[in-house]
Amino acid sequence: MAPAGFRPLRIAGYAALVLWSAVVLFPLYWVAITSFKTPSQVNGGPYYLPFVDFMPSLHAWVYLLVDLRNDTLRPFFNSFVVALCSTVLAVLAGAMAAYGLSRFRYRVHLGSIGLFLLALGLAAVAVVQAGVHWPVAAAAALAFFFLAVRALAPRMRRSVGNQDILFWLISQRILPPVVVVIPVYLMFQQLNMLDTLPALVVTYATVNLPIVVWIMYDFFNALPRDLEESAAMDGASRMVIFLTVALPLARAGLAAVFLLVWILSWNEYLLALFLSTADSQTMPLLVAAQNATRGPQWWYMSALIVLMIVPVIALAMLLMRFIRRGFLVGAVKG
Amino acid sequence: MNAAGPPPAGRWSLWADRNAGSIFLLPAAVVVLAFSLFPLLASFYLSLHRFKFVSGGFELRHVGWLNYKKLLFGSQQYHFLGTAGEWHAAFTFVVVAAAAALIFCLYRAARRGVGAAGIVGRVLAAAALLVLLLLFLRIIVTGVPGTLATTLVYVFAGGALQFAIGLGLALLCTSGLRGGNFFRVVFFLPLMVTPVGIAYAFRMLSDMSKGPFAPLWKFFGGENFSWAADPWQARMVVIIGDSWQWIPFIFIIMLAAIENVDNEQREAARMDGADAWQVFAHVTWPAVMPAAATVVLIRAIEAFKIIDLPNILTNGGPGIATESMALHAFAAWRTLDLGGSAAVAYLLLVVSVVLSISFFNLVVAPSRRLR
Amino acid sequence: MIKPQHALPALALTAMVAMPLSVTPAAAQFNGVEVNIMTFTGPQIAEPLQRRAPEFKRMTGAQINVITVPFSDLYTKLLTDWATGQNSVDAAVFAPQWMADYIEPGYLVDLSAQVAADSALQVDDISPFFREFSQRYKGKTYMLTLDGDFQMAYYRTDVLDQLGKQPPQTWDDYLSIARAAHGKDWNGDGEADYGSCISKKRNAQAYWAVMSIAGGFLQSQGTKQGAFFDAQTMKPLVNNDAFAAALKVYVDTTDYGPPDEINLDVGDTRGLFTQGRCALTVDWGDIGTLAIEEGSKIKDKVGAVPLPGSERVLDRATGKLARCNSRRCPYAEGGVNRAPYAAFGGWSGGISSAAGKRVRDAAYAFFSYMSQPAQSNVDVTIGKTGFNPYRVSQFENLSHWLDGGMSRAAARNYLGAIGDSMNSPNMILDLRIPQNQRYQQNVLDTAVARLLAGEINIRQTMRQIESGWEEITDELGRGEQAQAYRATLGQ
Repeated sequence: MAPAGFRPLRIAGYAALVLWSAVVLFPLYWVAITSFKTPSQVNGGPYYLPFVDFMPSLHAWVYLLVDLRNDTLRPFFNSFVVALCSTVLAVLAGAMAAYGLSRFRYRVHLGSIGLFLLALGLAAVAVVQAGVHWPVAAAAALAFFFLAVRALAPRMRRSVGNQDILFWLISQRILPPVVVVIPVYLMFQQLNMLDTLPALVVTYATVNLPIVVWIMYDFFNALPRDLEESAAMDGASRMVIFLTVALPLARAGLAAVFLLVWILSWNEYLLALFLSTADSQTMPLLVAAQNATRGPQWWYMSALIVLMIVPVIALAMLLMRFIRRGFLVGAVKG
Repeated sequence: MNAAGPPPAGRWSLWADRNAGSIFLLPAAVVVLAFSLFPLLASFYLSLHRFKFVSGGFELRHVGWLNYKKLLFGSQQYHFLGTAGEWHAAFTFVVVAAAAALIFCLYRAARRGVGAAGIVGRVLAAAALLVLLLLFLRIIVTGVPGTLATTLVYVFAGGALQFAIGLGLALLCTSGLRGGNFFRVVFFLPLMVTPVGIAYAFRMLSDMSKGPFAPLWKFFGGENFSWAADPWQARMVVIIGDSWQWIPFIFIIMLAAIENVDNEQREAARMDGADAWQVFAHVTWPAVMPAAATVVLIRAIEAFKIIDLPNILTNGGPGIATESMALHAFAAWRTLDLGGSAAVAYLLLVVSVVLSISFFNLVVAPSRRLR
Repeated sequence: MIKPQHALPALALTAMVAMPLSVTPAAAQFNGVEVNIMTFTGPQIAEPLQRRAPEFKRMTGAQINVITVPFSDLYTKLLTDWATGQNSVDAAVFAPQWMADYIEPGYLVDLSAQVAADSALQVDDISPFFREFSQRYKGKTYMLTLDGDFQMAYYRTDVLDQLGKQPPQTWDDYLSIARAAHGKDWNGDGEADYGSCISKKRNAQAYWAVMSIAGGFLQSQGTKQGAFFDAQTMKPLVNNDAFAAALKVYVDTTDYGPPDEINLDVGDTRGLFTQGRCALTVDWGDIGTLAIEEGSKIKDKVGAVPLPGSERVLDRATGKLARCNSRRCPYAEGGVNRAPYAAFGGWSGGISSAAGKRVRDAAYAFFSYMSQPAQSNVDVTIGKTGFNPYRVSQFENLSHWLDGGMSRAAARNYLGAIGDSMNSPNMILDLRIPQNQRYQQNVLDTAVARLLAGEINIRQTMRQIESGWEEITDELGRGEQAQAYRATLGQ
């Protein structure tokens, strides 16, 4: 830190920066040139410089973009749609929840949580043991829950507050995807939504929601309240205030979160593997699929990886305008 | 509703405004309830069963805690917990010392007047730490680690390495060197690559016979030796790949935190004759501590789920040296041992929840309170 | 994608049995029928299917959609699709090893009647092992073989000439060649090369290599005897002197392999072998076609033999090794018992019982078309496909191979080894009982990986495999598993 005036330190600082840039860039460089190598150049390697020690070939790109064409472009398009929709959904719902948690006081009675779990348990027992059709069980459980809450609410004492709700939402991120893939598969099968893009959109939106809430909560907390208060004086409703005052103020945070969630959805593999069969396959599946009975097809795989990075870089460039300096400023305020 | 209320449209918006709080929270809560709660419970249910495909569907046979017993005490113990090695006299000393230190901490907490729940939580955390220590000594130092120990190595060693480098880079980028903007864009790049792609990229890079470092490896006399055959070197390679991807995340958040620190304060400290280290230790670090704690927590949570890198680099080998818990669960799932898979996944959940909450309560929350 | 309506399976099944399919596809016979066929991503299997789909459509009117998923997830993908009643897949090309898991719950259609009535298929031309064992389960035909898969040992003819050695007959021969060849430069690049390259990566193909070595020690009485379990008691054959000897060979080959052999999958070893860096390898038939591809440094320098064997085989009563005699090893040649291992079994087509009748018929007609000599004899010579020979006519007639770019001597040698393997009455059928993946991929593979990593020794490895297998057998029901095992062996 602060080697500003002192020359040797300054040089060491630059050396470290350049060194790390090399560490970051070299794997990407290697992937990029591998996409222009022939199989025998890869197997007989290493070769480092195109035109100098090996003759680049477009064969992998031709195969993917010309021979396979739709089999490459469809997953690409799917990935794009899924990433876009799920990111918008997650950011919207997450920002709303974060805003709510930073502006309102919530009190959820422990009793109603207990009742909810009870209703859920009863429904589960009904479905598993008595073979009740699940929509019926779910509806009955919901009805039971609301009636019971209405009846018992006045008698409930202990409750949980904003911090607990926040922690609960965030803790969803702890869940390893392997824990939930099978039930999620069965759920979408019941809804007849397997191998559709909406299934992926909803799933990604859910798994990424905690991150949005987490970062945006700190962000909204750090925003000055006076603008919102004056808007409220003018008679604007809470929703209008949220949309026209709070969101624009938080755009740097929104942009950063958007980018982060986009990256997570765009790159997700495991859930996509379960939820898609043919029509809704996404790019990470296509990358992984290049490892088949003949071993990894490095040239195709590299070309696909390059193909996958480009849109993310473009998006990052676009959003950097909003993020600029002070990226995530609010997010890291305590 | 009141019959003499405003016209329908207005009435609705009034109602909406009165319940704005619920409306803000509702979408997130419903989505999370629907998509997390059910799978979580269903998965637990599955872990108590044996799964079998039969004509026209599948059959679940209740087996109680068998799947867990297998992992903790039975035929899969070597796989999950690992195989314990010999006991050294030095271990006894270390354990007694650690236990004494923990009891002292508990005593101090009790004196400070922490509530009953806090004491219980701390006792649990202390017990967990002791178990971890025992695990570390007997399994990692002298025995053969299972997937639990390996996952913890990834989380702790990987997390520490990534935090150190990420913070260092962030400090460098804010130290007034030119080109900071260029470097921060470059440093962000690895986060954009799909983890599957990174895993394959590192498999190419770590190939010491036709990868880019092959000549270097040979130059240093490695042609008759492979990292892939050595458990600790293989784990190192996994950690390097993981770090390559996640350092940018720590870097970018620490960068924002450091830039947020009042520059005037730093200048003032410098005026008072503080050297670079003192400025960092007394001004910058206390200010960025909450962000650091948060980012470490986020990273740890994600690190518990590590699967792509060990799966693709080494498929968990040599032996079971690089297999993480997530990979363990995934492998069981692949061969349709769904109950066993769910049990591993659930244990992973328990471990990560206990450690994450401990970390949150002991590090993140206090650091925020301090501010 | 619009899918045809699925009729009631039971109803359709009756209809199908009652009316044999006309075997020569008439034009427009399947107009408007769409068949979704799933296999794995990559040119090996999907390419020939996709290439022949348009001509099949011109002939019959049926639209074939090839759906691909990552190789590693094909098994579970099919199972979940059929088991949960999703049924988006009408037919699939997969490893016949998995078929018990699909047939037992009733997801696959019995094709016996159709095969019997299908003269164009020329089923007698399919080699006996695939016809009698690989396509069948419990006496009924459920799959059509499109690819012949078994492991063989490959050697460099030039290396053996220079060393003055003969192709390996036993695993001791194999080791002695590997020892002699290791550390010398065999491709002229100035670097020391390796004696033997076997894919030993965990969770990849290693467990097949182990059984390829163990087979000759374990099975001597013909395919029906089985090499994995005692067919009566389901007692695993993995904790005895024979398996110990095989594991010893497996570990010893590591001394003459690349240093990172423990982390090589079959793609890596094939790369090394075709770059001329290995004197020996154990692999599927793909080596033959890959060796003549562009960029190969071993064109016309590759020879193949059926898997080496052993002069001493397992005495199942005592668990000891016993020298071969005519009673103990009826199929031995020169006192050496060999057991070619049909690892994986060769990609084959199966049809979902949940598909509608016309869809099933169209799927059958397509698989039959793919398998008929006119098509398949061409496809097995194309290096890009993963199809290896499985028909008698494919190794009697050299012209296809010469057209495919092989020299006459190489083609003779390669096909000779394939023919010898395929015609061997002592071929080992891969494990096909329900949940065989858990036996092999989880238990066997993990134990062997730990052995190679030095975590456990040979005794412990064998005990770990034995107890792991017994645990699964007890869990799934010993009686049922034993019955399934006997059924796959045709006992």
